[in-house]
Amino acid sequence: MSAFLIRRFLRFVVVCIGVSLVTFSILHASGDPVALIMPEAPEADRAKLRDALGLSDPLPTQFVRFVANAARGDFGQSFFHREPAFGLVVERMPTTLGLTCLAVTLALAIAIPVGIYSAVFRNTLGDHAATAIVFLGQSMPVFWIGIMLMLLFAVQWRLLPVSGWGTWSSMVLPAVTLGAFTTPLFMRIIRSSMLEVINLDYVRTARAKGLSEWLVICRHALRNAALPIVTVTGLQFGLLLGGAVLTETVFAVPGVGRLIVGAIRQLDFPIVQAGVFLLAIIIVSVNFLVDVLYVYLNPTVRLH
Amino acid sequence: MRCWLTGLFALTLAALVVPIGAGAQGKDTITVALPSHAPTLDPHMHFERVGVLVNINMFDSLLHRSAKLEFEPSLAVSWKALSDTMWEFKLRKGVKFHDGSIMTAEDVKFSFDRVLEPGQEKKKSPQYGNVRAIKEVKIVDPDTIHLITDKPFPLLLERLVYFGIVPKKHIEKVGEEAFGSTATVGTGPWKLVEWKRDQHIRLEAFDQHWRGKPAFRYVVFRAIPEVATAVAELKTGGVDIIRNVNADLMPDLKSHPQTRISTTPILRVHYISLDMRSAPFDKKAARQAANYAIDKQAMIQKMMAGLGKQVATVVQPAAFGFDPSVAPYSYDAKKAKELLAQAGYPNGVDITLHSAAVDWRPHFEALGQMLTEVGLRTTVKMWDPGPAWNKFFQAEGKATNGQYGSWGNYSVFDADAVLHPLYHTEPGGWIGKHYARVEGLDKLIDEARSSIDQAKRKRIYAEIQRMIREEAPSVFLWTQNDTLGISKKVAYEARPDEWLWLFAAKPAN
Repeated sequence: MSAFLIRRFLRFVVVCIGVSLVTFSILHASGDPVALIMPEAPEADRAKLRDALGLSDPLPTQFVRFVANAARGDFGQSFFHREPAFGLVVERMPTTLGLTCLAVTLALAIAIPVGIYSAVFRNTLGDHAATAIVFLGQSMPVFWIGIMLMLLFAVQWRLLPVSGWGTWSSMVLPAVTLGAFTTPLFMRIIRSSMLEVINLDYVRTARAKGLSEWLVICRHALRNAALPIVTVTGLQFGLLLGGAVLTETVFAVPGVGRLIVGAIRQLDFPIVQAGVFLLAIIIVSVNFLVDVLYVYLNPTVRLH
Repeated sequence: MRCWLTGLFALTLAALVVPIGAGAQGKDTITVALPSHAPTLDPHMHFERVGVLVNINMFDSLLHRSAKLEFEPSLAVSWKALSDTMWEFKLRKGVKFHDGSIMTAEDVKFSFDRVLEPGQEKKKSPQYGNVRAIKEVKIVDPDTIHLITDKPFPLLLERLVYFGIVPKKHIEKVGEEAFGSTATVGTGPWKLVEWKRDQHIRLEAFDQHWRGKPAFRYVVFRAIPEVATAVAELKTGGVDIIRNVNADLMPDLKSHPQTRISTTPILRVHYISLDMRSAPFDKKAARQAANYAIDKQAMIQKMMAGLGKQVATVVQPAAFGFDPSVAPYSYDAKKAKELLAQAGYPNGVDITLHSAAVDWRPHFEALGQMLTEVGLRTTVKMWDPGPAWNKFFQAEGKATNGQYGSWGNYSVFDADAVLHPLYHTEPGGWIGKHYARVEGLDKLIDEARSSIDQAKRKRIYAEIQRMIREEAPSVFLWTQNDTLGISKKVAYEARPDEWLWLFAAKPAN
């Protein structure tokens, strides 16, 4: 176990450095933030500011300085907010994480029962209907679903607030929107992995013991069928975290995605670096958790 | 089973129902939707329109601009030029900051000094470029200050209209960071209650404001990036004012029982800037051909709901120096073809135009089509506005053969505000340095810029307009309107400078 943790930690460090390097290079290749900070100032004044921000040093020097500071949790001052970038990102992280967790929970809560239903009653009308909905759901872009739900529930029926964040009612539409993006995938995976196990010998044995169909499916079949779902949930979590930016924009949710996109437009390097870095850490951590959970669910897998 | 499911669904919905209008505000609150918040509430440390609109309701400047665009006294009760480079301002007495302290000449001097930072290497205010002509701020007596510029600076008054006066002692006490986020204090009609980043800025009326009490006790600026969302909020009463309503949304907001629109021409001019460094637009005839090729009237009527005006050059009727005797290019495809042949392209020529005006994509494509019809076979290249575009277009000047875009003059109502960035070739300038090669134009722009004799400036600008009409460094297109979507519960009209001066807003009926 400890060898596993060490190896995992090393891999984590490599991922962090890789993410930083890529973000750093893309940002520095993309333009001069000083031109955006001082739009009408003469070149001499801009050069002074560039010196003061350390932007005129050679790139490798800047990168080493960035990594050294980042290791101590210091991502520098945001060029525009004039506050530590890390704090700005951390401040918004609970919102984005909350939205993502809600969406994943919602997606699983819908996908698991429907997926099981589709597998058990495969090739019935219900199964086909579920499949149709799956394709429909996956073909619709997130922002479009969001706007349609908003028009229906907030403008037409006035049941929910149009946008904003803070009250439970304001979280419903963003969570449903983001969840709708991933539900179909979960549903398909549960259906197919259930189909794989449902006719295996041990399931037939369980039935032969006289257990009720309900118990057979929930206790015996589902446990094995759940393995791929755990993996996919981990991967989807990362995807949703990144994809939350569209939902955040449509529903005016004050999350990290919106902050980072705004910062990219303004070339606010420290915020982008801190934001991408923190998201990368979260995604790596979630995948680590998934690996551990995997062992718990499937004792035949060893950590190494 | 089906019954049971339906019941569950209904129950869930019922549980989620919130009282209707929970998001809507009472009669003492006006709510404005902005696409985002500026990074700080400190009026000197950003230069974003969304921030300016909030700041002007919290801070006063030396001068105010009326809805008719005339200068009005604000913190200065009178002003005059003592010489070409020295201006005198008499300050209003007894004006209070939100923290109760009295505004003094010290505060005025401090406000300018923190942007100009005399003696400091690191100038960090984005507004430095706007006021850098001010060399010194001198306190003559407690109610009088002199602003001394390094050379004659006719734009001084324009620049002062948005230059908030901030409290010296308060900032020294709380620090710049707190001043820009939680402890923002000005002399304006509203004071800060709460700023939740990316959510809302909440202001409350300042009872001791020198103008008196505003009609709305509370102002809320919500950050809503998506237009469709802002429109939905307006219709359901979540917000009272939305900005920048596009032509395609107007019928919807006009016919909705709770909303209306208010539209006005603004200081934004559209043009295709032509790259005079290389063929075919190094030839005057080719540039004129492009101007004759565009049917501006048709585009304004068909694509902009009639909300726009054709212009003769990039100088607009509302700007100082506009010369009405210069006539716009008419639409004349035949003449365009002749001119193109004269320029040496009887069989036409291939060109590429660039733009990052994503909201105007259909217009850009229509322009390309019209140019193609006369033989300027155009490839339109649409860019995502952002770093890559800034670098390609502005920093490196690689956008050959031209760019379609618009210029908002930073709401400065003077011909210089558009002529200098577009046509002056000074290094460090905007696009003139890449594109423009009109002989003698730099000299004229400089001459007009360095005089405060308005009659002389007017003469020079008239000459410049005749010159660019003839030389055609751009295809001159149209002015734009700004359209607000407004709740019928609120009485307020759009301003030509795109400001939201909410002191003028009142509850309707």
